[in-house]
Amino acid sequence: MTEDVDFSPADVLIIGAGASGATAAWNLAETKMRIVCLEQGGWTNPSDYPTTGRDWESRAQSDFSINPNRRQQPGDYPVNDDDSPIKIANFNGVGGGTVLYAGHYPRFHPSDFKVKSLDGVGDDWPLSYDDLEPFYAENDRITGVSGLAGDPAYPAKQSLMPPLPMGKSGQKLAEGFNQLGWHWWPSDSAIATQPYNGRDQCINLGACIYGCAQGAKASTDITYWPEAIRAGVELRTNCRVKAINVGDDGLASGVTYFDEEGVEQFQPAHVVIMACNGVGTPRILLNSVSDQFPDGLANSSGLVGKNLMLHPYASIQGVFADALDGYRGPHDSIWSQEFYETGEERDFVRGFTYETTRGRGAVATALTGVHSGRIPWGEGHHHAYRKLFNRIAGMVAICEDLPEEHNTVTLDPNLRDAHGIPAPKMTYSISDNSQKMLDFAVARASETLLAAGAEDLIIESPLAAGGWHLMGTARMGVNPQKSVVNEWGRSHDVKNLFVVDGSIFVTSAGVNPTRTIQTLALYITDQMKKRLTQLFD
Amino acid sequence: MSVTIATDSLFNSEERDGLRLLVGMIIPASQTYTLPGADDERIFADILDSARANEVQIRNSLAYGVENGLGAKVSAAELCSRLEGQPVMAPLVSLVMQCYYRDDRVMLALEMEPRPPFPNGYDVPQGDWSMLDAVQKRGKIWRDV
Repeated sequence: MTEDVDFSPADVLIIGAGASGATAAWNLAETKMRIVCLEQGGWTNPSDYPTTGRDWESRAQSDFSINPNRRQQPGDYPVNDDDSPIKIANFNGVGGGTVLYAGHYPRFHPSDFKVKSLDGVGDDWPLSYDDLEPFYAENDRITGVSGLAGDPAYPAKQSLMPPLPMGKSGQKLAEGFNQLGWHWWPSDSAIATQPYNGRDQCINLGACIYGCAQGAKASTDITYWPEAIRAGVELRTNCRVKAINVGDDGLASGVTYFDEEGVEQFQPAHVVIMACNGVGTPRILLNSVSDQFPDGLANSSGLVGKNLMLHPYASIQGVFADALDGYRGPHDSIWSQEFYETGEERDFVRGFTYETTRGRGAVATALTGVHSGRIPWGEGHHHAYRKLFNRIAGMVAICEDLPEEHNTVTLDPNLRDAHGIPAPKMTYSISDNSQKMLDFAVARASETLLAAGAEDLIIESPLAAGGWHLMGTARMGVNPQKSVVNEWGRSHDVKNLFVVDGSIFVTSAGVNPTRTIQTLALYITDQMKKRLTQLFD
Repeated sequence: MSVTIATDSLFNSEERDGLRLLVGMIIPASQTYTLPGADDERIFADILDSARANEVQIRNSLAYGVENGLGAKVSAAELCSRLEGQPVMAPLVSLVMQCYYRDDRVMLALEMEPRPPFPNGYDVPQGDWSMLDAVQKRGKIWRDV
C-alpha cells in the first residue's frame, strides 16, 4: 500500500532487479546505505513454472514465452522489433533475464577486451580481463558455476562443481568434433550439479529457458536477492520507472515511477543505478528529457541507444538414426571455441562459440518437423515424427557482433506501454562481417554433424527468435565524446548516475554476456565503494 | 485437463464438426502405431478447450479451410494439398501438436511417462569424458594479449 512506502531519499536507487541489479544491490548492501530497487515485474513462484504441469510446452509459447510481445504479462512492455531480423527476448520480473536464460555461462576471453588493438575493428574496453578476474571469481561463488577446469580455450579458472552430464547428445557431437580435430569442452553453466548454497542439484527437467522449478539454475531471485534483502535492501516490485529526474545542479534527483496500484510516484535518491538491459536502459534515458538534457539523459555524446549489439545466432541441428537425449537434460552440454579467435585465413574478423543443444520436447519436435516440411499432414505423420523424436541434436553459433551506430534503440513514435510510456524500437541489420561469420559457422557445424553421423540437417540462420543478448547502447569508455559511461560505469554527464547492465558493453565477444554483466556490476559497485567520499568528483 | 461440454464450447456445432475434420486430417489415427488421431474425443476436447487463447486465429484457420473446400465434395488428399503449409493454418497446426503430444496414450506410445517433468526429472548419462584427451593434447588455443 502507498501509505506503507517510505519516500524519504534513498542513498542508492537501483532500477531493475535482474542479473546486474541484483548483483549491484548485493555488493552495496554491506555499506549499510539505504538501497531501494524498483522492478517493473514481480516475483515468480517456482511452482508456477511450466515444468510443473503437463501443458509445459504450450506455456512456453504463451505466458512463459521468451518474447515479451507474445508473453504480455503485467510486467512486460511492448518492443517494436519490426525493423530487426532478430526479435526481442527478455523477462521482466525479479531475476530478469536469468529467469529464462539457459544458464550457459562462459567468461569473456582476454582478447575480447582488446578488439581494436588486435583486429582493428570496434574499440578497446577501458579495462582488461585481469582487472575483472577477481570479480569473475566472486560472482562464480555466489552464482554456483559447474564445469571442468582446464579448458584450453581459456586462461586457468576454477570450477566449483562438476560439469553437467554430456549425455548421448553431447557424446555424439563430441565424436564429430574429435573426428575433425576441433576443440570442445564441457560448458560452464550457472546450473548446480551438486547441492549448492541451499539449492538442490539439476534433475534434467529439460526446459531451462522456461524457468527452473528445481531451483538448480542460478537466477538472481534465488542467488543474490535473498542475501541482499536479508542485508536490508528494499525491493519494490510491480513498479515501473517512467523517467529519471534531474535537479538544477545537473545531478539525478530521483525517479518518477508508477507503483503497483498504477499511481505515479517520485522516489528521491542520491545515486541512481540503471540495470535495465540494453533496451530498457536507453529507453528510460531517452524518456528522461529535460532542459539540461533535451536529447535524453546522459546523452551529450549522442550515443545513448546506439551501437546495439544482439549476437546473431545460427542454429544447425542434425537428425540422427540413434535415440539421443531428446527432451531430457539441460540445454547446456558441451561447447566448442575452435573458431573463437580471429583467423587470418578467414574472410571475417572475430569469431564465435558453438553451444551444443541436446534435443527438444515432444511438441517442439512435431513443430520443428512440420515447419521444416519433414512431417506431413495425414498418413505419413506418425512415421515421419518417429524419425525426429529424440533424434535431433546440434548446436547454435553465437557470433560476435561488432558495434555499429546505425543499429539502435530509439523511442517508438506511436507504441506505448500500459502506463502510456513510449515503447522502445529496435532498428538492426546484420553486418557483412556477421553474415560471413554466420555462413562459415553453418558450414563448419554441418561438417561436424555429418562427421558425427547426422543423416539430415535442419538449419536456421539467423535465428529469428534469438534477441536475448542486448548490449552496447550506453557504452563504456574514457572519452566522453565516444562513450556514455566512464571506465567504472559512471555517466560522463551526470556524476551520480551509473549503468551496470549490458548497455555498457564496448564490444560483444562471441559468448553469452550474463557472467560478464554480473562481473562488471560487481566491479563497478566495488569502485563505488572505494570512492564513496569522492563519488561525484 | 477439463472436458468441454457442448454448451461450454466457443464454437457452434457446425464449426466443431469442421474443426474435427481438419484436425483429423492433420494427424489421423494410426493402426500401425495403435494411436488415436487428433480427432479422438479426448484429444479434440483438449483442442477445443485450449483454443480459447487463440480463438481469432483458430477461426481464421477454420474459415480458410471452408473457403478451400472443407465440408464440400473435395477429397481429403486434395484438401490437404490446398491447406498444408499455408501460414493461416499454422495456429491450428500448432494447437493440434500441443494437445496431441501431451495425451497420455501418445506419450506412452513414445515411451514417455505421462507426467510433468517436475518433480521427478529425468536421467541423463554422464558420457565418456576420456574423449577429452584428444582436446587436451592440442593445448592452449586462446590468444594472448
